[in-house]
Amino acid sequence: MTSTNSALGKFLSGRGMRKLRRDRMALVALAVIGVYLLLALSVGVGLLDKGDVFDRAGPDTVPGAWGVQDGEKRLTDAEFYIEQVQRAARASNAEDSLAELRFGGLRAAPGTPAEVQAQVDDAWLAFDAVAAYEELDEDPEVASLLTTLEQKVEGLYAAPTGFAGAIHSLRLSLGTDRQGRSILFRALYSTKVAVQIGIVSALISVLIGTLLGAAAGYFGGWVDHMVVWLYSTFSSIPWIVLLMVLASMFRGGPFDGTLIPVYAAFCMSFWISPCRVIRGEVMKLRELEYVQAASAIGFGRIRILLKHIIPNTAHLMFINFSLLFIGAIKAEVILSFLGLGVKNEPSWGVMINQAKAEVLNGFFWQIGAATFFMLVLVLAFNILSDALQDAFDPKHVGSQ
Amino acid sequence: MWSYIARKLLYNIPVYLGILLFLMLALRVNDPVHAFLGKNATDADILDVRAKLGLDQAFIYQYFDLLRDVLTLDFSVESWTNEGLRVSDMLKRSVIPSISITVPALVLTSIISISIALISAFFRGRPIDRTLMVMAVVGMSVSFLVYIIFGQYWGAYLLTREGSDLFAIGGFEPGLANWPYYCLLPVLISTFVATGYDTRFYRAVMVEESSRDYITTAKAKGANRRKVMFVHMLKNALIPIITRIMTTLPFLIMGSLLLEVYFNIPGMGRVLYKAIQEQDFPVVQIFVAVFAGIFIVSNILTDVLYALVDPRVRLS
Amino acid sequence: MTATQVQPVLEVRHLSTCFKTDRGVVTAVDDVSFKLYPGETLGIVGESGCGKTVTSKSIMRLLPEHLSFQKEGSEVLFGGNNLSLASEDEMREVRGDRIAMIFQEPMTSLNPVFTVGWQLDEALGYHTTLDKAARRERAIEMLRLVEMPEPERRIGEYPHQLSGGMRQRVMIAMALCCEPDILIADEPTTALDVTIQAQILDLMNGLKQRLNTAIMLITHDLGVVAQVCDRVMVMYAGRVIESGTVRDIFHRPQHPYTKALIESIPKSGAREHGKRLPTIDGIVPSLFELPHGCRFEDRCTIGDKKCIDREPALEALDGREVRCHFPLGDAR
Repeated sequence: MTSTNSALGKFLSGRGMRKLRRDRMALVALAVIGVYLLLALSVGVGLLDKGDVFDRAGPDTVPGAWGVQDGEKRLTDAEFYIEQVQRAARASNAEDSLAELRFGGLRAAPGTPAEVQAQVDDAWLAFDAVAAYEELDEDPEVASLLTTLEQKVEGLYAAPTGFAGAIHSLRLSLGTDRQGRSILFRALYSTKVAVQIGIVSALISVLIGTLLGAAAGYFGGWVDHMVVWLYSTFSSIPWIVLLMVLASMFRGGPFDGTLIPVYAAFCMSFWISPCRVIRGEVMKLRELEYVQAASAIGFGRIRILLKHIIPNTAHLMFINFSLLFIGAIKAEVILSFLGLGVKNEPSWGVMINQAKAEVLNGFFWQIGAATFFMLVLVLAFNILSDALQDAFDPKHVGSQ
Repeated sequence: MWSYIARKLLYNIPVYLGILLFLMLALRVNDPVHAFLGKNATDADILDVRAKLGLDQAFIYQYFDLLRDVLTLDFSVESWTNEGLRVSDMLKRSVIPSISITVPALVLTSIISISIALISAFFRGRPIDRTLMVMAVVGMSVSFLVYIIFGQYWGAYLLTREGSDLFAIGGFEPGLANWPYYCLLPVLISTFVATGYDTRFYRAVMVEESSRDYITTAKAKGANRRKVMFVHMLKNALIPIITRIMTTLPFLIMGSLLLEVYFNIPGMGRVLYKAIQEQDFPVVQIFVAVFAGIFIVSNILTDVLYALVDPRVRLS
Repeated sequence: MTATQVQPVLEVRHLSTCFKTDRGVVTAVDDVSFKLYPGETLGIVGESGCGKTVTSKSIMRLLPEHLSFQKEGSEVLFGGNNLSLASEDEMREVRGDRIAMIFQEPMTSLNPVFTVGWQLDEALGYHTTLDKAARRERAIEMLRLVEMPEPERRIGEYPHQLSGGMRQRVMIAMALCCEPDILIADEPTTALDVTIQAQILDLMNGLKQRLNTAIMLITHDLGVVAQVCDRVMVMYAGRVIESGTVRDIFHRPQHPYTKALIESIPKSGAREHGKRLPTIDGIVPSLFELPHGCRFEDRCTIGDKKCIDREPALEALDGREVRCHFPLGDAR
């Protein structure tokens, strides 16, 4: 405990941290959060390129790898693939179009436009054979016809092999959304967006809240009155309304379309909670004897505040950070629903919103993927904040 | 007791004045008239609309005008998007739909979560407690929107497709007979979501109360488990429980915005949402001012109720 | 000593209480045995964490059931029953009626949302068949007995309206209103001012004589023991290490720990001026890491290898008991 005499050193080796380290669930949660952070970082430095996230990866609303496709769907998908090749082959600069044709790692099969066209015609025959039937799921004959059709379709494309092949199957493993984009890759990208929003919003809110709360609790007097008045005011407006008003303030402005309105809306509503908590704690700490002793010795107030008081609120800062992180991620979903959230890139909120219509058609892949990815991260943070509270607040009643 | 109430009132007045201030400033960051009328507005139109609402006056006059309107409950200003429709009428019409969702939801959620919390606290540490708490935490990790989407899908859409028209997919009609059709599903969804949070909170309250010294004293006097829980503990636990319920009161009237937007229920939340979308300035301004006013009033009521329930506050 | 024909009202034999913690099972009370005779005050003394409170709560079975248990062979003999094995229903009949308990913090030990009268009435309601009016009368009578000023007014007041000393009187009234055989008092005066402390102790003494209640007084304050106890039992790290009459213990302590405790009581007088207050070096061993030998060995000023290797057994010596390889004998 004397290795570093700094506030951080004391904090990390204190009783709370030791208790936390013994909590297995908390360690698992931390590991999960670490994985997500790593993922977000990788995406941030370019693990996924724009094409992975914005370009079409296949037909619309294809179910994921372990989904069951009905005959109608397989037919429609085949139609899609055939048409795409056909269009490219018939284009004015067919050779170039064919070369450019791609869905993820899938490219058009090599061959002259004429050769390709012939294959396309062949595929259409197989298509018509299947389309002639009414009920595509019952007849075993139809099943074999479908298989033939799909083989022909496969022939139209050059499937990627090896590593690229693995990536391609990954691409389609969770299916595609209504615009044919890879759900998995969009969900992964959304992780970066979520982590970004979560960290920025939670960090800034905790910092603002702590500074104001500590100042209010420590200096008292009019500083305290001001801060209390400020947060009473902001917390008297229902949270959603506050977010909406703040987000709509940015409409038409220079920041419209970026994440700045989201950050601003979150920070302006989230700072209140840590501020209250820190203020309360600082007021308690101020009365502690060793603080009064420090003051009696003559240490300046700022010094006492920084060296003695704020380090003892560190655990509260962490707890609030994790709670606000969760709040930001969940609020982003709501904001996107209301049209005020993330605009130009995928996020879990955007995905869930787009999935609304898909759900009505019985397609659950996009909403499932987004919800699952979000669930794991939020759950990890929930477990972590519970564990933090259990470890640092002896009176806390968590799930114990 | 009366000085207590007076103090609370005095304290809340500057808060409300502050809310109005911020609200009005926020709404004027982008000139509301321009935003509403769009790019093709003529200068004459702009001046006309400005004058009607008093937006050409100095801010301080506007502030006091609004304050006066709110205090005298004068909301006769007209909406911009709906010609001739007064905001006061909009307010009146939207209260009932909002309440139809939130009040039953609150009652249902409270009953269910307090019961689950009692069970959990009673069997603290045992499998049923752990299971319930795990369910609560997992439930809390899913977005409200997802519950709404699935709720509507299963409750309304699927059932309708199979012929039993139990729940409406959206919309609203007043009247008790219509209530289950339009409102029960949103209420159930809302309850489902809120129960997770509330149960954890109530359970924590009860566990904390059950570890208090006076519980040991009660047991030492010979009280049985039921008496300990439902008499000694519950009465003390009621203080934070009531406080919590009271703090959700303002949200009752203001409605669950998400549910209203999703299910097309014309409550206060949806009216406000549409007004913000359409840049309908007078509606937004009045509605938020009213929301905040309701909030302040309910804060004061909560404090009063708190004093009634906790003798330590009442007699000090 | 009292005549050997008198039967103890409570006999504890080989009581061991264990707790289940996330670091394993720990034994807080280890093979404790003693007798309590009617009308006497037995003091149980020791530092924080030595097991004295756990002992008393074990007798009353007030410890959380899912976290603690008494080892097999523990016997708490009272009224012909072994309370260690009694059912919850049977315990409820004993608690408050035959054995009563008061606690250290009167403010938190009384329910803040019920009046004093209600709480007294509750105790009477559980164990007597008196009707409402009779219970009220008895409550007022009890308050008078504990020398509470204006008892009729106090009946309708809430705990936070009373001072610390008054609250403790209410606790005593609640405990004694059914005239129990035993009163267990867990640090009853620790949270009170010294002057109030003296009043409460006097009160308890007087009541004991009137009602012939046996008292088990748990405390860490030897001064209190000297004032009101007849016999004393000293505990350390879950074990009984010495017991005997107050006179014997104070004048001729046998165990080094007891001696050190007595010496560390601040004394006044010209001879003491300028001297350092003696303390006992070291700290109590953690219950998770108990030594194999004597538990006090690392802080003891005498003793040798024998103390490290083998824990001494509790042995009778001159009409009392000591757990030490090298009891001090008559030397002071």
